[in-house]
Amino acid sequence: MFSKTIFKQTLTQNWKLWAAFTGLTAIMSAVIIAVYDPKMIQRMMDMVKDMPGIADMMGDRLNETTSLLGMLGESFYSMQGILLPLIFVIMTANTLVASQVDRGSMAYILSTPIQRTKVIRTQALYLITSILCMFLAVTLVGLGTVQIAHNGLWGQAYTADVKAASDTLGVDKEAAANDLTLILNSPDAIKAGARAREIDEDVYTAYLNLKLSEKAYGAAAEVLGLDIHTVSADPTLIKNDEAALKAAAGVMGLEPMMYGAMLNQAIAQKDMATEQAKAMQEKLMAGITAAAAQLNMEPGDLATSMGKIKGDSKAMHAMISASGLPEGMVAGILNQQLAGDEISLDNGINFKLGNYLLLNLGAFLLIFAIASISFLFSCVFNLTKNSLALGAGIPIACLIFQIMAKASGSLDNFKYLSLNTLFDPRAITSGGTFWPQFTALALLGAALYALGVTVFKEKDLPL
Amino acid sequence: MPFIEIKHITKDYGEGRGNFDISLSIERGEVFGFIGTNGSGKTTLIRQMMGFLHPDSGGIKINGLDSWNDSAKIKKLVGYVPGEIAFPDAPTGTEFLKRQAALLGLRDMRFADEIIQKLQLDPTAALKRMSKGMKQKTAIVAAFMTDSEIFILDEPTTGLDPLMRTEFVELLNEEKKKGKTIFMSSHMFEEVEDTCDKVALIKDGKIIAVKSTLEIKHNQNKAYKIEFETIDEYLRFTGERFDFAEQREAKNQVIVKIHDTDINRFLSALKGYRLKFITEIKYSLEQYFKSLY
Repeated sequence: MFSKTIFKQTLTQNWKLWAAFTGLTAIMSAVIIAVYDPKMIQRMMDMVKDMPGIADMMGDRLNETTSLLGMLGESFYSMQGILLPLIFVIMTANTLVASQVDRGSMAYILSTPIQRTKVIRTQALYLITSILCMFLAVTLVGLGTVQIAHNGLWGQAYTADVKAASDTLGVDKEAAANDLTLILNSPDAIKAGARAREIDEDVYTAYLNLKLSEKAYGAAAEVLGLDIHTVSADPTLIKNDEAALKAAAGVMGLEPMMYGAMLNQAIAQKDMATEQAKAMQEKLMAGITAAAAQLNMEPGDLATSMGKIKGDSKAMHAMISASGLPEGMVAGILNQQLAGDEISLDNGINFKLGNYLLLNLGAFLLIFAIASISFLFSCVFNLTKNSLALGAGIPIACLIFQIMAKASGSLDNFKYLSLNTLFDPRAITSGGTFWPQFTALALLGAALYALGVTVFKEKDLPL
Repeated sequence: MPFIEIKHITKDYGEGRGNFDISLSIERGEVFGFIGTNGSGKTTLIRQMMGFLHPDSGGIKINGLDSWNDSAKIKKLVGYVPGEIAFPDAPTGTEFLKRQAALLGLRDMRFADEIIQKLQLDPTAALKRMSKGMKQKTAIVAAFMTDSEIFILDEPTTGLDPLMRTEFVELLNEEKKKGKTIFMSSHMFEEVEDTCDKVALIKDGKIIAVKSTLEIKHNQNKAYKIEFETIDEYLRFTGERFDFAEQREAKNQVIVKIHDTDINRFLSALKGYRLKFITEIKYSLEQYFKSLY
């Protein structure tokens, strides 16, 4: 099927190019992962949105694109992680066949008693193996970086505060993480946890409560068989289902009755008359503007770093007097906001290994399919210039079409002309469909490699 | 059955290029020369023999194996020097030969070293810095180290200096003594005349003639150029009954064709004339083929 000797020789002749491109791609991936900072990305998003409304300030969740994987999907797995391997496969596919036929050096390999099909199959094997190893290396380096820079692989389940609090409580980390009420009920644990997170105790309490209610929604959603977003948008769903209510209350460590009352409050808040909400919003904005003036900052910048108000008593005072709201309420809102930031931080680095592997698998399959195009034309043509014209031209055209389709809605139809569309990182990170596309890439690639081998076996060689 | 049998091979590239209805047979142990100008279709035939090109019609059998379908099996019998000198990516000649040996499944490099010595090649030099002649020598070593039964050589002496060419001819003769079959193309008549048993001439993709070099060497039809002292002598001789190929009255010269059986009559006729000189015009392959063009 394959010739070990040819594989070894091909490897000796080509590993340097592989190493250069793999190194470069892996470093790019590592750098992008290492510099990732959810707070910074969030700030950037808010700047884009110009003046954030109150909804953003209240427990702003990072949407998919600002999580680590979402960001990787939008950046690395749409550009560098595709472009560099693309250049590598274009060069390698041409070197493996067409350039050797063009130069005539293929004559030496084919004048040995190794079958022509065996020769070409071995070259295809090298190409596929090199791509596979490239993405394996990139994946491993990426995982290493996630672990080193963000502690994202192991120990993610236990944030620093859980570790500190569980030590104080003298319980297992797992127990504390699973039942946050343990921490909430112990002032010492709260103190330790807040210190570990480097935030105020009241903010930490708000954070724990936010996290708990999120978990409660999650538990209820599971019972209801619904998406957590659907449930948190409409808590009446929980109230109307006894089992869901019980599950959610269990998480909170409350009687179902008590939890029901809490839900009523939340529902009432949600239903608050729009006018009332607007008035509230205006008051808060006035407060923030005043605090910003005190701190000599832009209100927009301040909105995303409200911790500064808490740390400056003059600013706090300015906000209270300008908004006309009671001090307790302002502090509560600020705590909520800061707790929301903490949750974003947790979620942003919430690294889903499965999705990360899927991103890499998708990128591998895309490059595998693109390489099959380059390989086919390398097999078809006897001249490097012709092999490159199509073997490089088509992959580059695919890339450009994809960029065009993304750049403007009116050019959206270009995506149908591009192979790259079949690898959609966003579909992976936000739960869209991608397996059919993956299958298509794999089948197309396999078919084109097979076609290339057949063409090379049957064609006339000027050697 | 001949060892190598080429039957009605045609490969039409259009515009008169390619080769047309070529039939040749080469016996085991024979050294066969294949001569023609550049672009006459020599390399096309060699590529067909190597199974690189699929003929439009006809077929080539080497030791009973089809050159296209059984090409990998045939390669076990064949050492090949390609017409173009382009080596795979390898740093030095030694490394290239080592890799080639690995592909061939060749373990013993003693014979390769012997040929290297004979051709005075320094294979440790970087392949890219090698001169054309050195590269050609490397290619020759790569082919002959296989110690195959058959050698197919596409213009193997390109780039070799005259001294090395002599060494190469010696190498060929040694291989021939071992009973190897050699098929080589060339565009130089002298070269094939010195080494080959049989020579085929190809022109515009067609075989014009196949001639045994022995026949040329032992040709009994000879030609002599004679110059006479005076015009009278010259005129008198032209009256004799000989086969005149040329008469140059201005120089008092004639060229006479004499068969070996007629040599005594010729010599006794010459006794009565005063000559300036007489030389034999050597009959060569070149002359033979030129006469056919």
